[in-house]
Amino acid sequence: MQLRIQQLLPVYFDEARKSNSDIWGKDLSFSKGEMIKIVAPSGSGKTSLVHFLYGMRQDYNGSILYGDKNIKQFGAEDFALHRKDNISVVFQDLRLFPEQTVGENLEIKRQLNPFHPSEKIKEMAERLGIGNKLQSKAKICSYGEQQRVAIIRSLLQPFDFLLLDEPFSHLDNNNSEKAMELMLEEAKQREACIIFADLERIDYFPYTKLFHL
Amino acid sequence: MLLLLCSLQMFINIQQLLTRNSIRKNGSDFVSIAKNITNENMGKDNRFSSADIAELKAQPFIEDAAPLIPNLFRVQASAGQMVNFSSDIFIEALNNNFIDTVPPTFTWVENQPTLPVIFSSEFLEMYNVFAPSWELPQLSPATATNVAISLHCEGKLGERIFIARIVAFSDRVNSILVPENFLEWANKTLEGQDSTKSSRVFIKTKDANNSDLLKFLDQKDYRVNKDKTMFGRSKQILQGIITGLGVFGLLVILLALMLFSFYLQLVIARSKDNLQLLLTLGYSPAWLSQNMAKQFMPVYIFVVLTGLALTQVMQWSFHHFVMYDRPELSSFVDWVVIAAAILLIILSIITNYRLVKRLLYRMF
Repeated sequence: MQLRIQQLLPVYFDEARKSNSDIWGKDLSFSKGEMIKIVAPSGSGKTSLVHFLYGMRQDYNGSILYGDKNIKQFGAEDFALHRKDNISVVFQDLRLFPEQTVGENLEIKRQLNPFHPSEKIKEMAERLGIGNKLQSKAKICSYGEQQRVAIIRSLLQPFDFLLLDEPFSHLDNNNSEKAMELMLEEAKQREACIIFADLERIDYFPYTKLFHL
Repeated sequence: MLLLLCSLQMFINIQQLLTRNSIRKNGSDFVSIAKNITNENMGKDNRFSSADIAELKAQPFIEDAAPLIPNLFRVQASAGQMVNFSSDIFIEALNNNFIDTVPPTFTWVENQPTLPVIFSSEFLEMYNVFAPSWELPQLSPATATNVAISLHCEGKLGERIFIARIVAFSDRVNSILVPENFLEWANKTLEGQDSTKSSRVFIKTKDANNSDLLKFLDQKDYRVNKDKTMFGRSKQILQGIITGLGVFGLLVILLALMLFSFYLQLVIARSKDNLQLLLTLGYSPAWLSQNMAKQFMPVYIFVVLTGLALTQVMQWSFHHFVMYDRPELSSFVDWVVIAAAILLIILSIITNYRLVKRLLYRMF
């Protein structure tokens, strides 16, 4: 399965952006198994790109194709299926249920399309050092802890593509590496592609392709 | 809900009570009608023309209509030696199909000196009431049929005497009836006129209490035997009241549904962020709306079933305490009411599901 972008440019960017970007206005395709690193300074449209690829926003020109289907043609139900089966994401702004516990936040995602058994949640949480937070409400966890919850959540479903939008912004190197290791393992299990957008290069992400946004 | 279901049940009760109670012969009601005589139309001709009768026959709720043809000549009756009584009377003729008791002897051929007569049972009763004070013998129906009455018919063109014999008594027609062909012949021979117009018309109808019929008669200003249509009159009023109540109940339900939909919108608006996040995570809007609708389903079902149960209690009490277990009615609610309740449940579930779904899709 391939994720392709053709002449993609947000409507609010001017054409000049195309000349000094590896992604905007280009034709690219990402395949399963690839590790894509996108280095993007602030304001270069990193979050926009992730939102476009995930289908949350449509304010762009050009097209995004999943297989041979243009995702702009997707209806609400199509997107629901797409997100359930094919694509997962770690948002920069995390998007957890603040009133729900960490455990509930994770279980909500797992139950949608179980890839792992329920026990796996505990195991992953232990591995990233938030095993004792499963019963706490998400809103009282620190931002770093919430970031790890969001990372684990993204790994509880099947996917061909995993989109990461600055997933380690509030994690120290040690925790980031542990999280990266977990994500790589999970991606490998699914032979999935990781599209990792961050401000700068990170050494412990073994990318196969590097783009500057 | 209770109001609506109760009105529906009462409506059905009234229908059942009144259709089963009305007096029927051969499944039809026979009613005689006449034009209303008022001070305004007193001088005019208030008889039915053949056009009037054709119009009556054309009405869907009137199966048939026949005029009561009157005598146009003078008729004097005397009973001879046995009953020393003599009086001017009137005779009428009516199509045999409209008479309840027609014996085979009720025929007349020209030059036949005897005349069969069908006599109103009420007239006989009336006679028996005043007979003693006039020193006349009271008569049983059997004796009355043996009395030979001499009818002295006198018109412009001549006079004839016939020996009349009562061959039957009628409960339906308040008149002295003779065979149709006799009166036609007599009117022509003695008075030189065709018997076309009549003051009374008999109509045959499926239901004398039919509101369309009553409306039509009112509109034409025709007078009808009040007794026979009294049920229909009270039915009209009762049904009006019950329908009014039903409409009110319907309005209340509509209002309640609206209120509930506002409440639902509020609930959705309050949890908008959570719902949006669920959609972002990949939950299907159709699935979510189904689940939301399911949350409210028990409330609806509970409300409707409670309404139904109370209607049942009401119907039972009505039947038992007010109607003293009359056999025409049932102690249980009619299936129409149950069907209406089920319909209401389905309707409210569907409208809610659609509302939630629309709101969720808008959120996407």
